[in-house]
Amino acid sequence: MSLSMRPHLIGPFLLLLVLLFAPLLLPVYWIMILTEILIMGLLAVSFNLLLGYTGLLSFGHGAFFGLGAYTCALLLQAGHQNLFVLLGAGMLVALLAALLIGFFSVRLDEIFFAMITLGMGMLFFSIAHNWLAVTGGSDGLPVFALPVLNLAGREFTFYAPNSMYYLVFTTVLAGIVLLWLVVHSPFGLILRALRENKQRVAFIGGNIQLLRIVAFAVSGSFAGLAGVLFCLFNSMATPEFMHWSFSAKPVIMSIIGGTGVFLGPLFGAAIFFGLEQLIIHFTENWMFFLGMVLIPIVLFFPQGVFGTLRNRFFKQG
Amino acid sequence: MEQVLRIENLGHAYGKFKVIEDISLAIGRGETSALIGPNGAGKTTFYNAISGKFPPSKGRVFLNGENVTGLPSHRMVDKGMCRSFQITNIFAELTVLENVLSPLIIQQKKHFKPYGNVFKDRGLMERAMHTLEQVGLAERARQVVSSLAYGDKRLVEMAIVLARDPSVVLLDEPTAGMNPQETENMIQLIQRLAEHSGTTFFITEHDMKVVFSLARKIYVLHQGHLLAQGKPEEIRTNEAVQEAYLGRKSHA
Amino acid sequence: MDTLLLNALNGLSWGMLLFLIAVGLTTVFGVMGILNFAHGSLFMLGAYLCMQSMQLFDSFWFGLLVGPLGVAALGVLVERFLLRKIYSRDVTFQLLLTFALLLILDDGVRMIWGSGYHVVEPPVLLSGVMTIAGQDYPIYRFFLIVVGPLIGGLLWAFFHFTRWGKVVRAAAFDNIMAEGVGINVPRIYASVFALGAWLAALGGGLAAPQQSLNPAMGEKIIIESFIVVVVGGMGSFPGAFVGALLLGLLDSFGTVFAGRMQMAIPYLLLAVILLVKPTGLFRKGV
Repeated sequence: MSLSMRPHLIGPFLLLLVLLFAPLLLPVYWIMILTEILIMGLLAVSFNLLLGYTGLLSFGHGAFFGLGAYTCALLLQAGHQNLFVLLGAGMLVALLAALLIGFFSVRLDEIFFAMITLGMGMLFFSIAHNWLAVTGGSDGLPVFALPVLNLAGREFTFYAPNSMYYLVFTTVLAGIVLLWLVVHSPFGLILRALRENKQRVAFIGGNIQLLRIVAFAVSGSFAGLAGVLFCLFNSMATPEFMHWSFSAKPVIMSIIGGTGVFLGPLFGAAIFFGLEQLIIHFTENWMFFLGMVLIPIVLFFPQGVFGTLRNRFFKQG
Repeated sequence: MEQVLRIENLGHAYGKFKVIEDISLAIGRGETSALIGPNGAGKTTFYNAISGKFPPSKGRVFLNGENVTGLPSHRMVDKGMCRSFQITNIFAELTVLENVLSPLIIQQKKHFKPYGNVFKDRGLMERAMHTLEQVGLAERARQVVSSLAYGDKRLVEMAIVLARDPSVVLLDEPTAGMNPQETENMIQLIQRLAEHSGTTFFITEHDMKVVFSLARKIYVLHQGHLLAQGKPEEIRTNEAVQEAYLGRKSHA
Repeated sequence: MDTLLLNALNGLSWGMLLFLIAVGLTTVFGVMGILNFAHGSLFMLGAYLCMQSMQLFDSFWFGLLVGPLGVAALGVLVERFLLRKIYSRDVTFQLLLTFALLLILDDGVRMIWGSGYHVVEPPVLLSGVMTIAGQDYPIYRFFLIVVGPLIGGLLWAFFHFTRWGKVVRAAAFDNIMAEGVGINVPRIYASVFALGAWLAALGGGLAAPQQSLNPAMGEKIIIESFIVVVVGGMGSFPGAFVGALLLGLLDSFGTVFAGRMQMAIPYLLLAVILLVKPTGLFRKGV
């Protein structure tokens, strides 16, 4: 298990070290940016289980992120402060919603799948936007008290940016490790087979729709986990999380980073936010420049920035 | 002889247009059979209707004595029928090994197992390598399929089809598009598998040389009906068949 | 009874605008296979360009002529230099490219005209109200209800009686590849995209006196137009017409029986159609 035998693990190992010690090196502002990158990175990596591994373009993934966030906010407002309950409940609600949406969507392909997931996501958006009594409508649900974690006789709170960072870091790490296991499991291989040729999967005995629903549910529940984290970080759940323009973010991040590389979408998230920070220094029209950056990426980097560069410099067999 | 596949009065129609009608046949275990007929005779429709691509509009299909009529394709595979397609149907951007691992994962009911490295699963790996050795692709196991030559891609499809050790294998034009050498190799492969592993093949083929060197029983489909059936020498001398099909073909 | 009539008229006038957007969207999809996220932004840009040229020439009608032509010219450039490079690529890249265009156009308009609201007065001829069943109703909305089918009829005639129109129809609605019949494909693509952009911008110009202009107006209409196109059947001309009217009426009557939740109705309609008849109301299985 020594590192020298496994060169492909050196990169992730260094990344882990950097992220672990980042709070010692970076100012608070950048720690908060990094926290957001990690949360959105988890959303993008979970989304890419569908796009990159299963070959399904979901344009409604914000719904699961939003459901996780609302679940968290509602539980906190009701006085539930157990961190694990919040994380678990957010994932569970997103999982159930994903099973429901998945049940209806997975029989469709390509653009039709993108359209129905977009529509279903917007259905949740309209509910969150208009069900004032529960969701607070367009103002969203604020969170006033953050959860407390009792561990080994010590009590942890997450009001300081650094402790919030470590909470997010640990949870995202756990989420990504779990997704990594899924991707490399027998289930993961069948998903990639599904991406390549779903008819062939049916003719080796695979139930296409069931496989897709399960993939959708796994992906959705981790998006929900990211939503819980974002609600805690942001102290707020808002309907915007469920809007299609928010759902476009994991798509953009995955394409920027590369859908063919497991951690590609995480790097995509980093590039996305790094670019945003860079550009809002000069202009408030960040969307305009995002569009200007996206066009050459779409045209000239078919495997994403990270994926294309990797393939160019570390051509693998 | 023990029957593997029995088909009773099978028919399929699109609207009012009957593509195939009243087809009955029985295939014995280990007996390589062939279905022949000119283009448009309904061979592909017949294959699709018995392999679960769509349910037939009439008739019944028995596999190992069990009525499997109208089951969806993935259930049909579970029951023991695997098939290839005229146009190569494989997982292009996966490796040869991953291609043949996929059916094995499903056969061993591990397709929803979300943990554990596939390549360290000995139960899967040994079976996969065994199948690849059977078709002669073991040395290419780590290659991505899209980088292979056409003939090798067809072999990958054979490996996918054979991996689950099905009781009957439907091959839809296994040598279509192959050069003479590749065709010869495919013939030998099928012969070897039929003799040594006892696999039951049911093939359609345009190339009569392939048909007559492989099949022990031939069914002739003509305008949606079974025109004749019998041993190769019987079919060769059957006048109705010659008129409908072979005659024209051999002069071409 | 009166509210019924009022809702019907509102639904029809909104439906006609939706139709102008959706018919371009569906034709572009039918011919080129691309679902254009930026189509609503072309609508929005059309509204702004019309407003600008109306002010410049002090004529509503002249603005309505010039604005859409400007957007159509932009459409030609977009097709030639961007879309043409990705026809064979995965649907994700196509959606993302047009999404990038949406970002650029929306924020670009914001940079030029600001993010505030702009108001365009209807021309004198069409301003004011007329009384119908004891109710005052803006004349301009009647104009929209009339002009929608008029443009629809002209388009129908164009698709059926001109050579170009027939070729486009064959490519879009009957899935016939234009190469087979000896047609200059790149030029067809460019002109179809320009036609779609022109229709969207015309819709924007016509919408300008009815609703106030702001850079986000494209984002609302694009999703509704997507729904119209899917419901009617992607690439279907009559589907776009019926789908647009259906959605327009549902939008205006929805407030009556669903209150705040009417916002959810179009998405429910989309889900139901995709499940019951995924190819849409007016398209046979492909």
